[in-house]
Amino acid sequence: MYRMAANRFLHHASLVKNSGGSSLLRFPILRTVITSSWFSTYADPQTFPNQTLHPSDSSTSSSSPTTAGDDPRQRRKNPRAEYEEEQDHVLQASLRHVIRFGWSEETMIAGAKEVGVSPSIVGSFPRKEAALVEFFMDDCLQRLIDRIDSGEELRQLIPSQRISKLVRIRLEMQAPYISKWPQALSFQAHPLNVPTSFKQRAMLVDEIWHAAGDEASDIDWYVKRTFLGGIYSATEIYMLTDRSPEFRDTWLFLDDRVKDAFDLKKTLQEATYLAEAVGAGMGSSLQGFVGKVFQR
Amino acid sequence: MALRLVTRNLRNRISPNLCSASLLHSHATSFGFKEVREEEKSQMVGKVFSNVASNYDLMNDFMSAGLHRLWKDRLVSELSPFPGMKHLDVAGGTGDVAFRILESVNSIRRRALQDPINDDLQEETWIHVCDINQNMLNVGKNRALERGLGEDKSLVWVQGDAEALSFEDNSMDGYTIAFGIRNVTHIEKVLTEAYRVLKRGGRFLCLELSHVEIPVFKELYDFYSFSVIPRLGEVVAGDRESYQYLVESIRRFPPQEKFASMITDTGFQKVKYENLVGGVVAIHSGLKI
Repeated sequence: MYRMAANRFLHHASLVKNSGGSSLLRFPILRTVITSSWFSTYADPQTFPNQTLHPSDSSTSSSSPTTAGDDPRQRRKNPRAEYEEEQDHVLQASLRHVIRFGWSEETMIAGAKEVGVSPSIVGSFPRKEAALVEFFMDDCLQRLIDRIDSGEELRQLIPSQRISKLVRIRLEMQAPYISKWPQALSFQAHPLNVPTSFKQRAMLVDEIWHAAGDEASDIDWYVKRTFLGGIYSATEIYMLTDRSPEFRDTWLFLDDRVKDAFDLKKTLQEATYLAEAVGAGMGSSLQGFVGKVFQR
Repeated sequence: MALRLVTRNLRNRISPNLCSASLLHSHATSFGFKEVREEEKSQMVGKVFSNVASNYDLMNDFMSAGLHRLWKDRLVSELSPFPGMKHLDVAGGTGDVAFRILESVNSIRRRALQDPINDDLQEETWIHVCDINQNMLNVGKNRALERGLGEDKSLVWVQGDAEALSFEDNSMDGYTIAFGIRNVTHIEKVLTEAYRVLKRGGRFLCLELSHVEIPVFKELYDFYSFSVIPRLGEVVAGDRESYQYLVESIRRFPPQEKFASMITDTGFQKVKYENLVGGVVAIHSGLKI
């Protein structure tokens, strides 16, 4: 398991080097740890012999979705296990039934029947319905990356507009499922699923900032992503109750929030300058005062 | 396979007394810690279970302090049964696992019934209970009546051998074997049969007593197994030998990793195992694709 995690990190590092001289340190994603508890331990004896180191050679994205937890920018050359392909087919087919049955076992059973596989396969997904939601999130992230890589329209926009546009593109992917989206959110909020959903959202936010041309490091990096995470979540929740045609109100809300965030940043900067100036002023007058006291 | 033929030929050629089957087949000739001929093993096991059948559930409760119910609950929740499922429970004589699956399916169906859109999920659920021992099956049928499932047409009681099932290829959505695979003569044959009858996407689940590796706990468990259980068998069921066989057969069964590799060799994918109570019991699962 740790070897897999190390592989991912190495792939990731090599990909960063390959992708056109960017020296950004991308958010390193490590696979979630196999859970273990006091009285029950899981082990997967099959995966170890299958892992081999293959350098990822291209950063061009493909349209095939990845399993939950994989970094979509990685393309492994070693063949994926057959059951993973089948599981992905089932999940893909299940998405078509979500509108009818919601994010539930029935949906996945219907998906399995559509693909022609026994619905027992649903039991083999780690957290069943959560696996479907996570698959969808990964799929959307992949599509977003595809849009970013192919679209030139982002270059002409200023950063705040770019962020707005990207968040809008991403949320529009959820629009068809909006009636059942609260259920998906509840799955993501479940304690067992929080690690994965948090990681997926972090990756999403990181991706958006990267596409918006972010070059931050140290504390700024975290602040920016936290802010964008907050804006994204707020907009997502706003969208749940938005009845305007084509979610017009949501996009207005989004633009306002982004503007607020950038304004806040400017305000904070100005406050910092002011504090420095006051400090300098006070410091010199204090120095003068102390000097006079000691000269006496 | 080739190795078995070679050793068998060598054995026949050299001397019939020069015994000890290769390590791979020590299970086939082990009756607890005793060595027996392959042909005799299933007979001897049959006798054991005919003797214990009537007190089987009571003894289970005593030996595991009631935990066996939780283990079986865990097995069924791992399985995730669904309405319309065709399931096969092998060596499930007294019906514990089958009843749980049936009750799980019925509770789902009742929920689905409230939603008329899901009417197309109203297919027939079939749960086959297969056991080589008719006494165990009879006990199971009586228990079904007691639980009020006697009229349920979903339960099908079949007498049969796990190594040569009478079911068609690709006919089952799920296959479970709870505390049964330890008693078979040829584990590989059972696994191959399981693979044969499962549909594409079907799952194989095996609940079995397994090996404990945790240092202090292991000693406690050994003491409990070899000192307490046969005495308990003597007192409660009046049959010390059968329970001596039970604890010995647990030790002779392959450990978790080995068994998992056997399952993988049969052709199952996504093979994994889960230890319960530190390894006293393990649930192995595999997916047929």
